[in-house]
Amino acid sequence: MEDKEAVPVPVQSDFNPAAFVAGYNREPIYFDEKFVYLVTDINQDELIMQRRREIEKEIWESTSLISEKEDLGSLEAEYITDEVYQSKVKDLLRKYNYIRRTRPDGNCFYRAFAFAYFERLLSHQREYEDFKEIIMKNKTNLMTSGFSTVTLEDFHETFMEVVEILSKGVSAQEELYRVFNDQSYSDYVVVYLRLITSSQLKLNADFYQNFIEGDRTIVEFCHQEVEPMYKESDHIHIIALSSALDVGIRVRYMDRGQSTEAIAHDFPEGSHVRVHLLYRPGHYDILYPIDAD
Amino acid sequence: MSTPARRRLMRDFKRLQEDPPTGVSGAPTDNNIMIWNAVIFGPHDTPFEDGTFKLTIEFTEEYPNKAPTVRFVSKMFHPNVYADGGICLDILQNRWSPTYDVSAILTSIQSLLSDPNPNSPANSMAAQLYKENRREYEKRVRMCVEQSFVD
Repeated sequence: MEDKEAVPVPVQSDFNPAAFVAGYNREPIYFDEKFVYLVTDINQDELIMQRRREIEKEIWESTSLISEKEDLGSLEAEYITDEVYQSKVKDLLRKYNYIRRTRPDGNCFYRAFAFAYFERLLSHQREYEDFKEIIMKNKTNLMTSGFSTVTLEDFHETFMEVVEILSKGVSAQEELYRVFNDQSYSDYVVVYLRLITSSQLKLNADFYQNFIEGDRTIVEFCHQEVEPMYKESDHIHIIALSSALDVGIRVRYMDRGQSTEAIAHDFPEGSHVRVHLLYRPGHYDILYPIDAD
Repeated sequence: MSTPARRRLMRDFKRLQEDPPTGVSGAPTDNNIMIWNAVIFGPHDTPFEDGTFKLTIEFTEEYPNKAPTVRFVSKMFHPNVYADGGICLDILQNRWSPTYDVSAILTSIQSLLSDPNPNSPANSMAAQLYKENRREYEKRVRMCVEQSFVD
């Protein structure tokens, strides 16, 4: 047994290790006059983290952060034996022609949204100017949301580096794709959107509190479900981000529901839709409408 | 080459120098900004008082989107510190957020020394003693404090 898997406990003269261990109901692997070693105190966190890293690696090797555009017909093959899903795919095919997949790592909503919207801005330069203004205004909100100025500046700067690429217009399509597949830049974009989402929730806590289950406060919710990476997004996150940036998002739901259509929800309700996402339980991908504006 | 992770670590270091939190310090090692040495001074009015506990912090290029690996180098007797010096602290695992910087990490560990959580023990004997035999617990902690002067 290696030492690192055991906890050495220095023993004092008035302390009887045998009695302690017996009363404690755990197996000592070894003890002498100086130390008791317990075999049970293995660093479980590291084992769990290691296992998690292995799973991540598998996912990372099989899916890129943002994939190339694919014909939407590829979805049909995925659900060949499933009638509920098949009718929904058929419905989607009437409205959309391409799909772009994202890596299922819990950040997919933010990453899918960011890529889809940024890609749109390449060819909508007027909208791009408005977006930059919104981002600058939003920064003031972030400053008052309790984040450290140092870390905030860091995220803002890197986020703006990516945003600046958009000023080059459609010729920057390849560059945008490359940056979104560069883990650190791509994740910085995700983080910044998480911070915007969090500050929107906190600034409108009275409203958003109604959507939170259990007795968590908005601040707790943001700490646990919004700010940490890899935490999945729900309606509340989507409402907050789409409102904060004033960008309409249409989500098409492909689930077990009885409808033969992939039902659409627009966030915020009644907004001008600029980004289309496909939701399948636990995951978001990007959709390209046939009649894009 | 500058990467977002390295750039961010330079900022963390600057902040730590310009606005140092009480009772903690840290700096990158001489030739590698991805590996830091840090010291946490035992908080007042706790059995850890006067101790100078050394730690290493290892970052990857995924920082700050992934938490660094933080480990005590000094011998510790604490319910939430493993035998290998690893620390069982939510913000270093599932509650990590990229908004935490080195300063926040070190102050969180410092407050863990004052307020152990015996319900998720990394050292079950320390946890047991903390709950049931505080005098014995403190005695063992004091031994670590004394050991920390020698290290």
